[in-house]
Amino acid sequence: MTRILPLLLLSPAAVQAAERPIDFNRDVRPILSDRCYACHGPDANHREADLRLDVEKDAKAERDGTHAIVPGKPDESQLVARITATSASKRMPPRKANKTLTAAEIDVLKRWVAEGAKWSASWAYVAPQKHPVPEVTGAEWPLTWIDRFIAWRLERERLTPSPDTDRVTLARRLYFDLIGLPPTPAQVDAFVADKDPRAVEKLVDQLLASEHYGERMAAYWLDLVRYADTVGYHGDQDHHASPYRDYVIDSFNLNLPFDRFTREQLAGDLLPESGTDQKIASCYNRLLQTSHEGGVQAKEYLAIYQADRVRNLSAVWMGGTVGCAQCHNHKYDPYTQKDFYSLAAFFTDVDEEKHLRGAGTDTVPTRRPPEIAVHTRRERERIEAFNKRIAELEKEGDAANEERGALTKERDALQKATRMVMVTQAVTPRTVRVLPRGNWLDDSGEVVQPAIPEFLGKVGGDGRATRLDLANWLTDPKSGAGGLTARVFVNRLWYLFFGVGLSKSLDDFGGQGEPPVHPELLDNLAIEFVENGWDVKHMVRLIVTSRAYRQSSLESPALREKDPENRLYARQSRFRLSAEMVRDNALAVSGLLVHEVGGGPVKPYQPAGFYRHLNFPKREYRADTDSRQWRRGVYTHWQRQYLHPMLRAFDAPTREECTAQRPRSNTPLAALVLLNDPTFVECARVFAQRVLAKGGADDADRLVFAFRETTSRAPDEVERGVLLKLLEKNRVASKADPKAAAELVKIGLSPVPKDADLPEIAAWTAVCRAILNLNETVSRN
Amino acid sequence: MTTFSPLSRRTLLTASGVGLGSVALNLLLARDLRATDSPDKYRGLPGFPHHKPKVKRVIFLYMSGGPSHLETFDYKPKLAELDGKPMPESFTKGQPIAQLQGQALKVQGPLTKFQKHGKNGLWISAFLPYHAKLADDICVIKSMVTDQINHDPAHTMMNTGIAISGRPSIGSWVTYGLGSESDDLPGFVVMTSFAGRNPQPISQRMWGNGFLPSRFQGVEFNSTGDPVYYVRNPKGVSDQQQHELVDAVKELDRHRNAALANPEVDTRIAAYEMAFRMQASVPELMDISKESKETLELYGAKPGDGSFASNCLLARRLAERGVRFIQLYHRDWDHHGDLVKYMNICCGATDRATWALMTDLKRRGLLDDTLVIWGGEFGRTPMFQGKGGPGRDHHIKGFSMWLAGGGIKPGISYGETDELGYNAVENKVHVRDLHATLLHLLGIDHGKFTFKYQGLDMKLTGVEPAKPIQGVLA
Repeated sequence: MTRILPLLLLSPAAVQAAERPIDFNRDVRPILSDRCYACHGPDANHREADLRLDVEKDAKAERDGTHAIVPGKPDESQLVARITATSASKRMPPRKANKTLTAAEIDVLKRWVAEGAKWSASWAYVAPQKHPVPEVTGAEWPLTWIDRFIAWRLERERLTPSPDTDRVTLARRLYFDLIGLPPTPAQVDAFVADKDPRAVEKLVDQLLASEHYGERMAAYWLDLVRYADTVGYHGDQDHHASPYRDYVIDSFNLNLPFDRFTREQLAGDLLPESGTDQKIASCYNRLLQTSHEGGVQAKEYLAIYQADRVRNLSAVWMGGTVGCAQCHNHKYDPYTQKDFYSLAAFFTDVDEEKHLRGAGTDTVPTRRPPEIAVHTRRERERIEAFNKRIAELEKEGDAANEERGALTKERDALQKATRMVMVTQAVTPRTVRVLPRGNWLDDSGEVVQPAIPEFLGKVGGDGRATRLDLANWLTDPKSGAGGLTARVFVNRLWYLFFGVGLSKSLDDFGGQGEPPVHPELLDNLAIEFVENGWDVKHMVRLIVTSRAYRQSSLESPALREKDPENRLYARQSRFRLSAEMVRDNALAVSGLLVHEVGGGPVKPYQPAGFYRHLNFPKREYRADTDSRQWRRGVYTHWQRQYLHPMLRAFDAPTREECTAQRPRSNTPLAALVLLNDPTFVECARVFAQRVLAKGGADDADRLVFAFRETTSRAPDEVERGVLLKLLEKNRVASKADPKAAAELVKIGLSPVPKDADLPEIAAWTAVCRAILNLNETVSRN
Repeated sequence: MTTFSPLSRRTLLTASGVGLGSVALNLLLARDLRATDSPDKYRGLPGFPHHKPKVKRVIFLYMSGGPSHLETFDYKPKLAELDGKPMPESFTKGQPIAQLQGQALKVQGPLTKFQKHGKNGLWISAFLPYHAKLADDICVIKSMVTDQINHDPAHTMMNTGIAISGRPSIGSWVTYGLGSESDDLPGFVVMTSFAGRNPQPISQRMWGNGFLPSRFQGVEFNSTGDPVYYVRNPKGVSDQQQHELVDAVKELDRHRNAALANPEVDTRIAAYEMAFRMQASVPELMDISKESKETLELYGAKPGDGSFASNCLLARRLAERGVRFIQLYHRDWDHHGDLVKYMNICCGATDRATWALMTDLKRRGLLDDTLVIWGGEFGRTPMFQGKGGPGRDHHIKGFSMWLAGGGIKPGISYGETDELGYNAVENKVHVRDLHATLLHLLGIDHGKFTFKYQGLDMKLTGVEPAKPIQGVLA
């Protein structure tokens, strides 16, 4: 498998090597890491022949008269001799490792040694450097400095950027990317008609100011931090987390600086200015999977939880796989086992023994103290607004009594409707030991104090370092890991808006991850982020107003062959919408979507019996019977063990672990959902009602209306023909069997207008189902 | 049932090759250049199988909850001698313990009788009279061990090889490696049943695809209600109408794609075709009423009853149709108390049906190329637990499972626990070894079966040493 990959796919090492001098980080380290470090890397317990190839000094040291690497002299270097040895017993990597080097890779290593075997520190752990923006020959194409980096690289690869996409496509792209919802035809028309040279910037600003921006960005963040509404293990009971979800939405909307966002989540309880929002934010530390299964042993689960936290912390902020160092030193990166437990020690003041000592109940929701009752920021603001208005009405006297009474009632109801949320409350920290081989029964390991990975420095003063110290270190660009954190985050933003990251390994910036294809661009973006006060909206605006972003996603066969994964960004990407967007899009197009922001988890229709394997207690799913039925996917009750089958079918993760990148699949199960899930059938039916009411007088007009509402364009001749034929067939069928037509129209809670022509609605429902099932409808391009 | 318009070569290649990312797609294309067999379906990874397989498919009878080895296959007369006496501390000191934490530990003697059966005199308990008839067919492993002492993580371990959530399950690995032989059913099918005690939950994670492409996830088939979620037309929509709708969608996608030439659209069209075929094939499959009366009686199955017996019969039907990995969960084996009562219920629900499945597979010639596995996530303690009448707690240091079918030595037992049935002491078999064995029988070298994820070459068998159990291989 690995042998044919480089032939098919653009591999930075293989393609570039022939053109540029060898770069250790880009070309050599990935090869050494993948093929050699398991036995000749950081893990001392599995090191062979006492040889390290991850440390320059060791790799170049004399060893009984020979050297693994002699700079400039491949003929004297044992490394070269061994990877080219013809005898199977001498050849490296050995057969049993199931690793082989391709001819191209051997060539890279040889050339590297010949060119002097220059070493450099791992790219991710070196602070980003500001690089000069390159000069390019095609000077009219770039709009921003981002574009000049892209264009420079394309010129070297003898590629040209794709032309700008049409305005309609660009509008759709921006709407989905920034707010996760489709534009209406009127919104598309307005953008197309806007002759202002700053039309794109204006639309971007308008979308960034929309409350739906926060919902869209939150959906991604919630994947990273593994937010869910249930505990995950065993009984998978509900737990209280939804105010945290709303905090994330509000934070993106308020454009909370990312460093503060980080501090509030990791250490909101420890901040001097800790208020309700910071306490809600500290729910981050409680989002992990938990258990109160009958036989759990507290000691074991404390070990499981601390490992979970280290995995998540390192994946979310550090783009690292520190979790690999739970049982042994990391095999590819300089994280030691002690580093793993030292990071874990930061979290040992999080009170979690309460539920392990019997507080957890077999109820829905279960108890996971400490929990507090809160109003979210938005709810508090609403109460405030009520108060203000009520006070005004009081001045107006008796005439306003009725309105005042109604408002007071509404305010009081809101005031009572607090939600519970799990929070972090610091207790006396537990002692943490290194667990030999990860074995929680083994108390022989050394006791460790909270500390960042040793190779990255030190935090805290004399006393015990805290979660706040950790958060400050993560966001300190000068003496902390701020440069790394910034790189990790902007790389993910890039991924959201281009479909693939500058380094495609969004959660692994280590030796086994992919070095960025545009390291200079990634550095400059990271620096821009930090220098602008960790301003997320600024970075989003910068990326989506670039020329590169505006390119067409069409690809020539030649480009597809050269760059199938679009690593060079000579075009935009085309991909299926996320699970939430697939849902939201159908609701929006039908007119059913409820635009309210925030609130408790909601329950869309779900197949009967889907929770039947849950127990303690047994679960009966009750779908919402009010307008909550039509809320956005980000609010869907996230049941870890049985995630709603619609979300699952479209690759939403169960959020048991950090997910930085969702797969984008195309399965029969997803087709069945889009065809038969009552949510989508109801959307099609309500959409049909709208088409009949607003779409014009005849079939042709109505079809254009329906098609434009969904795809932002008119159908062509062929499409009209296919859909009108489908309409006619269904009209005949519906008239022949009006009872069946009525059954179809009755699907879903949304009422059918009185005296409606049910067979006609049913016939148009078929057309709307077809349109909602189109690939184009569920794609962003 | 329906005719399909001619598909492009690429579509043919990926028909039912749904859910593959571009990398996997490229791999398939590469394979196509070399393949001599029909490239029209996803038939597995290039170079797979690694060696000549002994079996084509697996049926895993998953006895969820942890059946007592001490009341099924592992006869320990010494327990009877020590019944009620304190459990020797030499066994339990420093060992993980589940619900009996902090309690006085007493020995619990066998709660049933054992007899030797078959040519080799396999010990089988009186709870399993039909298994007694299988004594010459099955290979009992008495020396299983696992790492996890609570249900949820132990299930995760048994199904994915590790207790950390989010890794692919066995069935996903197998269908990823080998593909499926069925054109209109998923390659990995899961069914569940229960009868008796308040059953332990079971998570969808156990048949999840983890980091493998989504198309390799296990699909739950329900013997009551909708056979597969969303597989029925919306109410009021006839098959004809649904067919026309799907055809319209395909036609429009194909038309639009003529200009775009996006290979993923071909994949999508193939997914719609498979979805539509499933709408017919799944209900047909699930309808066992057309099986002969003799067959229904053999299993003790009644159409639509959702029983383990019906699931066993369905497992045979799935096997006949080329489904690669079939997993039946029976969720009632967690016997902390009233073990006798619940063993009677549980064995009553599963013993005969298991025998019937084996018999049916054998007479149809399917057993020769099928691997049948019986067992749960762990065993039960030699120590007494009394929630109600006598029962036993979770136990991970030694328990029993059995294997049967192609490539397996029939009629033997393998490995031993100590005289109290506590520790596996002879030929210890870790869950990883079971996985390595299963893959080996399917023609896969577990050490070479990797998937790159987060920079690591992930394997079902993980990083600790694992090997196929030579002693059980024929």
